[in-house]
Amino acid sequence: MPKYLCMQRSASGDCEPPSPAQMQSMYEVFNAWREKYQKNIVDMGGRLRADGKIVSSEGAIDGPFPEAKEVIGGFMIIEAANMDEAVEVARQCPGVVAPGSSVEVREISAP
Amino acid sequence: MSWRRGTRLERGSPGDQRPLSGWVKGEHLFRHEYGRLVAVLSRRVGVQHLEAVEDAVQSAMMAALQSWQVDGEPTNPSAWLYRVAQRRLIDELRRRAGRGRILAQHSGELGAASSNDMQEPFLSGEVRDSMLRMLFVCCDGSIPLESQLVFALKTLCGFNVGEIAERLFMSESNVYKRLARARQRLRRLASHEDVEAAQLVLRLPSVQKVLYLLFTEGYLSSRADQAIRRELCEEAIRLTTLLVDHPVGAHPESFALLALMHLHTARVAAREDASGGLLLLEEQDRGRWDRGRIQTGLGWLARSASGDHFSRYHAEAGIAAEHCLAPSFAQTRWDRVAECYAMLEREAPSAIHRLNRAVAVAEWKGAAEGLVVLEGFEPPTWLAGSYLWSAVLADLHRRAGQVDAAARYCQAALEAAPTPEVKALLARRLAIGDPS
Repeated sequence: MPKYLCMQRSASGDCEPPSPAQMQSMYEVFNAWREKYQKNIVDMGGRLRADGKIVSSEGAIDGPFPEAKEVIGGFMIIEAANMDEAVEVARQCPGVVAPGSSVEVREISAP
Repeated sequence: MSWRRGTRLERGSPGDQRPLSGWVKGEHLFRHEYGRLVAVLSRRVGVQHLEAVEDAVQSAMMAALQSWQVDGEPTNPSAWLYRVAQRRLIDELRRRAGRGRILAQHSGELGAASSNDMQEPFLSGEVRDSMLRMLFVCCDGSIPLESQLVFALKTLCGFNVGEIAERLFMSESNVYKRLARARQRLRRLASHEDVEAAQLVLRLPSVQKVLYLLFTEGYLSSRADQAIRRELCEEAIRLTTLLVDHPVGAHPESFALLALMHLHTARVAAREDASGGLLLLEEQDRGRWDRGRIQTGLGWLARSASGDHFSRYHAEAGIAAEHCLAPSFAQTRWDRVAECYAMLEREAPSAIHRLNRAVAVAEWKGAAEGLVVLEGFEPPTWLAGSYLWSAVLADLHRRAGQVDAAARYCQAALEAAPTPEVKALLARRLAIGDPS
């Protein structure tokens, strides 16, 4: 089955942190999602820290660019029969597709 | 007919028949863990660092959310959260202290905090003690009562500003201001910090008052949905249980307070019909009252019967107990209910208590006697304009055969009804026994 890289993008900048009760429901919803798509999840990936470096032939500079409107906030690798299924898995992932955030799904090309 | 406080009628979401006692443990894990961690950590580093503590706990929970989603839940989530929150708190305090002096001042506490076994507070009575201490800190007489409640909901119950605003019907900016002022007050207090044992005892009445307020916000509100109200009642019971369990709080008045909470919540599920409509006390299916909870409440009531002060909590618990013990509406010992209301009126003078006493006396000795209780009584405007006042007078006048007055009050009651459910109930109630 083809694998897909899902990159979560979200608007940069701080937003109001969720309350404990909201975190609880986020956690529960996420666990339900994970349960449902257990067979599709290859690597849960994780969230990415805000700071990093951009390496080019000229050397390494601090990145991502602070002026960027959207930053990649996290990633995961999933497995699906086709792009449609992959999109469905990503779409249902809680918190990933919400106002101000989106997910880019790209098939990892296999030889 | 009964319009007493404890049986005031409310609307709720249809179909939600889940009994309070059936709540799953762990359903509020994050929120309750928040309260525990904030209490334990503030006790260790001092309440003057409360904001840093709250930030550290919040951030530990965010970290948990991310980490547990990827790696799965640790075997001991509490210890995990505690360890991460503590580390972040220490980092933050060190960073703040960066240039020196303050660190020296707190290095003892920090060192003690960082070298302690992370599981230790969860094995000892420290969590209970810390939460209780935080409760007493919240109930600082120099800040307004409502702010004390706001502050307790934030630090001990783990609600955020938006959630508190929703529960107390305040604007978010009002909640925010109250929190800011309460914290400011705490920072000033911080130098001669810890609330000493002697002071704890002095603060006990404030603590009881805040817990009572928390409970009645949940129990009596006619605005919030039922799940939210039940949650507030459960929070009040959780914190009061903590209070009675501690030498400082183990006082007859605290027992009476806990008794009245149990005796009221025992009857919550029976207050509405299957479609979410409101039910009068005499219409309620007493078989749906939670017997286990009534037993618990009666147990606390028995324990409260000591000491030399009969408090308002004793009176209210006594009234609730009479209703719980009565096999039917008609067999209620109305003489005792009326007596309790008279005592309640003495302890906590309020027009609503007078009105309730009139209702009890009417059941006991007849409507005319009930009206005598209200003779020459000028209700405050908030009560005079409410459907409650008009409905009781309409009912009493009708039963006393004073048709014109009854019709006048009946009209006023229907006009003042705040919701369609209340209106439906009034129309039904005021027609019962009507000869027409």
